[in-house]
Order: sequence, then structure tokens, then C-alpha cells
Amino acid sequence: MRPVVPAAVLFMAACGSPQPPLVAAGVEVTRPMPGRHMSAAYLVLANNTDGDTRITRVSSPQFASVQMHETTIEDGVARMRELEALVVPAGGSLTLERGGKHLMLMQADDVGKGVTLHFHSGDTLVLSVDYPFPEERG
Amino acid sequence: MSPGKLIVAAVLAAALAAGIVLALRSQSPAVPLHATVLEPPAALPEFDLVDHNGDGIGRSAFEGQWDLVFFGFTQCPDICPATLQVLAAAKAELEDRGQVPLPRIVLVSVDPERDTPDVMSRYVGYFGDGHLGITGELAEIRKLTDGLGIYFRKQATGADDYTVDHSAAVLAVDPAGRFSAVFGGQHVVENYLNDLPVIMEAG
Ligand SMILES: [Cu+2]
Repeated sequence: MRPVVPAAVLFMAACGSPQPPLVAAGVEVTRPMPGRHMSAAYLVLANNTDGDTRITRVSSPQFASVQMHETTIEDGVARMRELEALVVPAGGSLTLERGGKHLMLMQADDVGKGVTLHFHSGDTLVLSVDYPFPEERG
Repeated sequence: MSPGKLIVAAVLAAALAAGIVLALRSQSPAVPLHATVLEPPAALPEFDLVDHNGDGIGRSAFEGQWDLVFFGFTQCPDICPATLQVLAAAKAELEDRGQVPLPRIVLVSVDPERDTPDVMSRYVGYFGDGHLGITGELAEIRKLTDGLGIYFRKQATGADDYTVDHSAAVLAVDPAGRFSAVFGGQHVVENYLNDLPVIMEAG
């Protein structure tokens, strides 16, 4: 017979471990290709708080420069522009994806086996994400 | 029914079935749903550039096979690799389906300053075998892009870095070296799977 867990215990457990305010999912960082010093990062940011989270800076120990970008296609022309901030709405999410908003990682140092991304809101570090590169194929 | 009559009936049935198939085909001629076809196709302008091996290349390189031509640059981190991945995936899927002929994938650099043949070689090779990279003198690249209505322009992203705004279109060039169709903005594998066989059949 399965043990029955009193509802009160579940409730307490839920209270005891509140969800982190900002969560990253579906992280993908392109490996800088041969002869290139730029790559891009894509992910979904979820905001579990009841206030918007405004990310004003992203940094990475593996790259000298990280910019928040948006690719737009207007009149058939692809453009990439720097964004001042990424806003993750209260209780909602923000998707960084190919051909849309993304992180541009520039001037790679030795990226080695993976990339770490630090998301800042003003002077506060709000999220740190470690992304290990998948094993090379073949 | 005698054996002779049976054969006649079978032949008539087969002919009727074939007629129905033909009628259905002519009722709904296959048309590209996503690409815009140029009527008539336009000859490519003359140009004098180099391929990813550093060998001279001109307009005649586009003769003899279908080409899917994209204009981009190797430092482009977002839309260029995404587009080339879509084209390579579409070609692989068409090959699996037994499509003949298959198009060659061509990347023309809009950043020849950084895209040397060596850089282009490693870059196009990353997306598979048989792709062609083209680079060279900026003025010669302009001859090609201006002649095809392709726009590009350098944009600074920092003190000593830049990106290049560029047309997102993919052009289909027929085996006579003529620009014959264009795929616009958002590139999706399905669009190529549907339209390429139709375009290549008609051309
Ligand atoms: Cu970018």
C-alpha cells in the first residue's frame, strides 16, 4: 500500500522551498565556429515573482563582451540591434530564440567545455546559468 | 464474360483511372506556395570573385546545377547559421525522398573584409559537404548583390566590432545561371520541401 502523505506536510514542503524568482530553461549556446569569435545564446527565462524583472546586463567569464540583441526582418532585410534591457514579465516568461531576441557573445576567450552566463538587474546578480557544451559528435 | 472481354474491360478501367489521375493533376497544377517565381528568370550579372578554395569564380559557376544562394557573413551569430541549417536540412530531406536534381547551397559573403576564402571554407564545411562559399573584392560583391536587389550595410556594434545588416532572402538560380525564384524572410524547412521540387521541375 502506498503511504499517504498528509496534505499539511505537502503544503509545508511547498512553503519551505519557494520557487526561485528567475529560472532559465531550454538553454542553448552555439559553439564559436572555426574562424569566428562570436556566438549566440538562446533560452527561456521564467519570472516567478509578481513584479517584472528587468535584466540590464549579461556577462560571461568566457567572453569579453555580451550584448542583448534582437534580430528583426523588415522589408526583407535582417538586422541585429542591441537592446537596453530584457524584461521578463511578472509571472510570465521571455523567450530568446533564433531570429528574435538573443544574447550575442563576443570576443571569446577559451570557451573550453562550456559557458556561464550571469544575468544582472542593475547591480544585482539575479541569475547564473551554466551551460556545458554537448559532447562533440563523431 | 469471355477472357477477351475481361482484358478489354481491364484496359478500359486502367485507361479511365489514368485519365482521372491526369485530370486531377491538370486541375491542380503544383505551384510554389512560399517562393516567388520570376517570369521570366533574370540572368545573373557578371562578377569576378573567389570561391572558398581561393580559386577565381564568375557567373559561369552558376551554370550546370540548381543553386540556393544566401547572402550573409561568417561572424553573423544568429540568422545566418539558422538559415544555412534550414537549407542543409531541406536538402538532406529532399535527398532522402529521392529528389533529383538536388540544389547546391551557396553562401555569398557580405563581409569580405573578414571572410577570407580560408574562413569561408571552414564555415561552409561546418554545414556539410558540397556547399560553395563566395567572397572577394567588395566592389565585385556589390556587382552581384546590386544586380540581384540584395541589400547589405555594415553597422558598428562597439568600438572595434561590427555586424552587417543584409537581405534575408534565399535565391534559386537555375542550371542556366538565371535567378528564377526567391524565398523571402523567415526560412522554414517545410517551405523548401514543398516548393523546390516544383520550381526545379518547371525550370
Ligand atoms: Cu546578435
